[in-house]
Amino acid sequence: MGFLLKCPNCGERTVYEYRSGGEETDRPQPGDPAQDWTRYFYLRRNAAGDQREWWYHALGCRRWLIAVRDTVTNQVKETYWPGEAQA
Amino acid sequence: MAAGDCEARLGPHPTQAIDRSKPIAFRFEGEPVQAFEGDTIASALYAAGVRIFSRSFKYHRPRGLTCVAGRCSNCLMTVDGVPNVRVCAAPATDGVVVSRQNAWPSLERDLLSVLDRFGWAMPVGFYYKSLYRPRLLWKIASPIIRRVAGIGAVAAEAPSVARYTHRNLHAEVAVVGGGAAGMSAALAASDAGVRVVLIDDEPALGGSLRYDLRSYPEAAGQPAAHGYETANDLAGAVQSSPNVEVLTGATAFGLYEGNLLGIRRGSEFVKLRAKSIVAATGAYEQPLLYDRNDLPGTFLSSGLRRLMHLHRLRPGGAALVAATNDEGYHAALDLVNSGVQVVALVDSRPRFPHDLDAAKELQTRGVLVLPSHGVVRAEGTKRVAGAAVSRLTEGRPTTEEREFDCDLICLSGGFTPAGALLAQAGAAFGFNAALGESVPVKLPPGVFAAGSVTGASGLDDALRQGREAGAAAAEGGALSFFRPPETAPARVDAAPLAEAPGSRGFVCLCEDITSKDVVTAIREGFTDIQTLKRYSTVTMGPCQGKMCHRALVSLCALEMRQPPDAVGATTQRPPLQPVPLGALAGAAYLPIKRTPMDRRHRAAGARMVDVGPWQRPHSYGSPRDECLAVRNRVGIIDVSTLGKLDVAGADAPAFLDRMYTHKFSTLRPGRTRYGILCTDSGSILDDGTVTRLREDRYFVTTSTTNVDTVEDWFRWWLAGARWRVYVTNVTSAYASINVAGPRARETLAKLTDVDISRRAFKYMRSAEGNVAGVPCLFLRVGFVGETGWELHVPAQYGEHVWDALLEAGEEFGIAKFGVEAQRILRLEKKHIIPGQDTDLVSNPLDSGSAWTVRFDKEDFIGREGLAAARERGARELLVGFVMQERVVPSDGNAVTVGGFPVGRVTSARLSPTTGQAFGLARVPAELAQEGQEIHIHVEGRDLPAAVRLEPLYDPKGERLRA
Amino acid sequence: MWRQHPLRDSYDVVIVGAGVHGLSTAYYLAKQGVTDVAVLDKGYVGGGASARSTAIVRANYLTVEGIPFFRESLKLYESLALELDFNIMFNQTGRLDVGHAESTVYALRQRVELNKLLGVDSRLVGPEEIKELVPVIDLRQDKHLPVMAALYHPPAGTVRHDAVVWGYARGADGLGVEIHPFTGVTGVLRAGDRVTGVETAKGPVRAGTVVSATAGWSSIISGMAGVELPIVTYPLQAFVTEPLKPFMDKVISSGNLHVYIYQTDRGELVIGGPVDHYPTYSHRSTLNMLEELARFAVELVPSLRDVKVMRQWTGICDMTPDYAPIMGEVDGVRGFVLNAGWGTWGFKAAPIAGKSIAALVATGKTPDLIEPFGLFRFAEDRLVNERAAAIAAALH
Repeated sequence: MGFLLKCPNCGERTVYEYRSGGEETDRPQPGDPAQDWTRYFYLRRNAAGDQREWWYHALGCRRWLIAVRDTVTNQVKETYWPGEAQA
Repeated sequence: MAAGDCEARLGPHPTQAIDRSKPIAFRFEGEPVQAFEGDTIASALYAAGVRIFSRSFKYHRPRGLTCVAGRCSNCLMTVDGVPNVRVCAAPATDGVVVSRQNAWPSLERDLLSVLDRFGWAMPVGFYYKSLYRPRLLWKIASPIIRRVAGIGAVAAEAPSVARYTHRNLHAEVAVVGGGAAGMSAALAASDAGVRVVLIDDEPALGGSLRYDLRSYPEAAGQPAAHGYETANDLAGAVQSSPNVEVLTGATAFGLYEGNLLGIRRGSEFVKLRAKSIVAATGAYEQPLLYDRNDLPGTFLSSGLRRLMHLHRLRPGGAALVAATNDEGYHAALDLVNSGVQVVALVDSRPRFPHDLDAAKELQTRGVLVLPSHGVVRAEGTKRVAGAAVSRLTEGRPTTEEREFDCDLICLSGGFTPAGALLAQAGAAFGFNAALGESVPVKLPPGVFAAGSVTGASGLDDALRQGREAGAAAAEGGALSFFRPPETAPARVDAAPLAEAPGSRGFVCLCEDITSKDVVTAIREGFTDIQTLKRYSTVTMGPCQGKMCHRALVSLCALEMRQPPDAVGATTQRPPLQPVPLGALAGAAYLPIKRTPMDRRHRAAGARMVDVGPWQRPHSYGSPRDECLAVRNRVGIIDVSTLGKLDVAGADAPAFLDRMYTHKFSTLRPGRTRYGILCTDSGSILDDGTVTRLREDRYFVTTSTTNVDTVEDWFRWWLAGARWRVYVTNVTSAYASINVAGPRARETLAKLTDVDISRRAFKYMRSAEGNVAGVPCLFLRVGFVGETGWELHVPAQYGEHVWDALLEAGEEFGIAKFGVEAQRILRLEKKHIIPGQDTDLVSNPLDSGSAWTVRFDKEDFIGREGLAAARERGARELLVGFVMQERVVPSDGNAVTVGGFPVGRVTSARLSPTTGQAFGLARVPAELAQEGQEIHIHVEGRDLPAAVRLEPLYDPKGERLRA
Repeated sequence: MWRQHPLRDSYDVVIVGAGVHGLSTAYYLAKQGVTDVAVLDKGYVGGGASARSTAIVRANYLTVEGIPFFRESLKLYESLALELDFNIMFNQTGRLDVGHAESTVYALRQRVELNKLLGVDSRLVGPEEIKELVPVIDLRQDKHLPVMAALYHPPAGTVRHDAVVWGYARGADGLGVEIHPFTGVTGVLRAGDRVTGVETAKGPVRAGTVVSATAGWSSIISGMAGVELPIVTYPLQAFVTEPLKPFMDKVISSGNLHVYIYQTDRGELVIGGPVDHYPTYSHRSTLNMLEELARFAVELVPSLRDVKVMRQWTGICDMTPDYAPIMGEVDGVRGFVLNAGWGTWGFKAAPIAGKSIAALVATGKTPDLIEPFGLFRFAEDRLVNERAAAIAAALH
């Protein structure tokens, strides 16, 4: 019953319906340098402020979505389906 | 208890909460007490002559009713076994059993009150500076200190949980506080046509107006009337408004993210989510600081008015009123009108308030009013016997003192906004010099404030602010309405301080912290309020600062010669009022998942075991016998808990190739293959079988506890990637049974028309057909290492097929087997269980599953991590071992070299087939050689074992394929 | 307790974060003779994660790297009151990690076995012994998740967390260290591959070495130095109840029920659990966590039903992929030392972490005890997997 996140399918729901998938990362291509992969595996920006991140509506439509959230205030600024151009 | 003293009650009055036609009886300390409906336990006890209601936390000083509003900790008692109940807010009910806390043998005579005399020996910070040298001293002292700690006691035998319930509510507007401002806000929001919930912690709406006998002129649309009449008027309007749901006797204890209110209403816990919140939470009246300001008989003025007007009690014979504001004059007048002699009214302000009617009235009634005076001392030991007052110069006492005999001291130290909910929501507060209070100056979106919580005073302001806030909240505008008060009553600093040697002016009643303690701590260098709080424990008791925070700030400002706003404030954390764990927990239980054949297992006397949320049969008797039945005859096991996913779509083959280390695009329909899922860094996530049902459809199994993880994982990789793949979790749609053993084929053949002959239905093949007349997916897999089929039938036929198999197999000696037998059987086959034989960092290459990794694929999840691991070479490997002696290590025992742990046993059992103690272990790579001697640490001994790389049982897999 | 100083523009060592780790590092540095040290904090002394810690001390970890490290920390705690001349109120009354499932008991046994071999007093006890140690635990067997066994770790206990912070602060101050509360670091100064100081609201401060000891904010401070960390910040919540007469002297923790409970010297019960399920820097407590913790606490100890919550709070933690800390220098960034990644287990490590990092800063040589915890381990795939312990003990 924490802050609210708007699922593009189900509407505004409490964060406890969702599973957090962490910040958006870019998967390197096969054959890219090892340090790129290490960075992708483990290193995170862990931003204090706006962060583009994955959420899974586990207790709803069971779809992954992207949210832009201020990680200091938990204010969710926008949500959209991955792969779709954000507003 | 003597007399119920009903005759001590004042005559009937419209304000009264008690119903004298409904008597109530309860017990206090074993004695009967008479009360009326509408009484609180405290008012009934007070009527019965009780004056000491508790003994204080540290010094066991006698304490009596003070706030009479459920805020301070002076009346904590045990009620029906529930510790720390504020009896001034607990309704008296028939038969309730009330007892004292923290006092022995009685409240009147408490032996530990001797501690009070040694206060000098235990100054603030005492424990930090003592009792640690030598080292053993604290070990001895701590248990003794602990013995006298605490207040109430936990009942050893817990009462039933069923009495706490949960409810969820939604509203456009939630108004917290049912006083003038709150009711006005609720009405305004209701007028706007939205759904409103109004929450108030008193048994009836009205707030302080309920016991306000003043006459008010026409104000903000309300006709001229007495305060209580206006309260009734507004309450009636609220109650009759169809849009407003009223929760009285309900405490909104927390305002959380997303405008979520936590509310406790008796045994009910309500979660209310609202678009807008109006905090009309009022203000807390504050006590004053002087020597022995905690003696029983010391009341807040509002507390006395509650006793007089709501409970119709004459609280005492003679009162001294100490005021820093006009409120004291009204209280004094009420006292006089209730037959209490007011020996004097001392006002810290320099001038007599000539324009105040109540003041003039008091003068007319002959009450002595002393401007520029404050109380410096209470007289008496166990209750107030008198008071010394002193002339004040610039707010500080002088040597010019006067003494009065009295049994009551009525304190009117002003009101501090009850802004905790606003603070929790992130409101900013600022010090308002005119008020001498911190008031909210900036509110978060969707949160509004009205009434005295804003620093406003007076009925007119409350009604007007309420109306404006209610209307704004109903509109749901993003911009919060808030306006700091324009006018403020004149008031000097609230805390006249008189520090004489041995003085006991308590800043914090809950924790027994005196002003001297606070000053000492500041002088020791705790100069910011947060560390000061932590060092002295001031504000950390059950009232959480409601009665002491302002005095603390004033004291700090004075001592540090800083303005109060520079002193800052401690953080106001939820809950606002204490909430029982049971109310929060509710009737909750831990959810259990049962398989479709659960009843059969229980009827068969299975020992059940928890596996994640599931309950599964551990065994039905002897796991060893169950193993032997599978090895020699035939057995069935309920594997319904296996995770099952239906993965379909044109891109399903390519998708599974990407997910698994193995290849599934090359798998032909009707075939099954084992697969491992890795994270991208190469760690094992889960394993299972993948069966290709059709070109574009796969049936995927996962381990019992991981299905959600795998489903989420698949969906994550699918998200936004434009794969044409559809994942459906079908776990609970199927009942699943594994039939295994040399006689499995014969057993199954009796029930199906599918050709399950050795030639037609080979190992790692699948088929769809019927079993016992119901549709079934047959997978020829072999986790336990024998000829066998995993049958997946619609869940509703689970019991039917289970029964049919047992019947069909009877002639072959069929046995049911549980998870323990399965664990042994698979261990003999060296089949791994992820999580048991692997951990967070294990990968397929070091876990005996390198054969599942197809580096010839261009990309798959985990490829780069595994390629790097392959290049580095494994540091640790999962190997089988056989003990030299027949001693079975426990799962988790260490593998040692020279007594130092280098690895661990992940699974170990006694093999029913070979009689050997054996298992799997993770060992350094250099020890992973066939026949290598390793040592396993079992109960203090390093026992020899030999590494065995091949499975203990049927290493060639001939039986599996038979 | 500690003096106030004007902030100078240069020190040998600047430690960012005046919590228990920063102050312990400063104290041991000064003891080694490095006294030109400033400890900076954006808030009050000990006001971050230290203020919010429930201050359980134990050494019953899972790995051959973790166990000796925490064992040494426990030893330092045992004599810390004498060392600092300040009573930290270490109540060494023992702790029980209760297991309600076979898989949990397996994880507990792994810890017990390694603990024993590495000199930490841990043992596995069954329901009967649990009953004697903590009679209030619900030991009914005919229920879901019955208590099967527990890891009993007698030397564990609790400390008064503020006392440890103040003790180190006072000790460091006495040895010449400057403590600067309300002095936030806004940037890290770099020249080439070298960190040369920090930027603060009160101006730049040059330093030979900068130590980051800012639990919860490590990514931010490191980011200023151009160092990315494998850390995600999660909130950790806890609450206390009203004071009760003493009835339980051990710390009890249940991984299956996601809750731990102990009673303080004041009689309050401290109840906490694992980190929340999503990352955030917000310190706002949630109703959901309060409900969950209450539910699990009552499940474990049913007689707590009528006990009242008095105050709940939230701290933020550096969570690492392997549930182990990150200590030491960073390859390619000279003069920058990490004391980070403390997850939910930082307080119990503060003495030995501070002492080890002080030794590193003073001598330039990484002590063996902390060598496995370097940032390099992620690139080299040498993770220290404390995860199994952390299932039960992501709970402290």
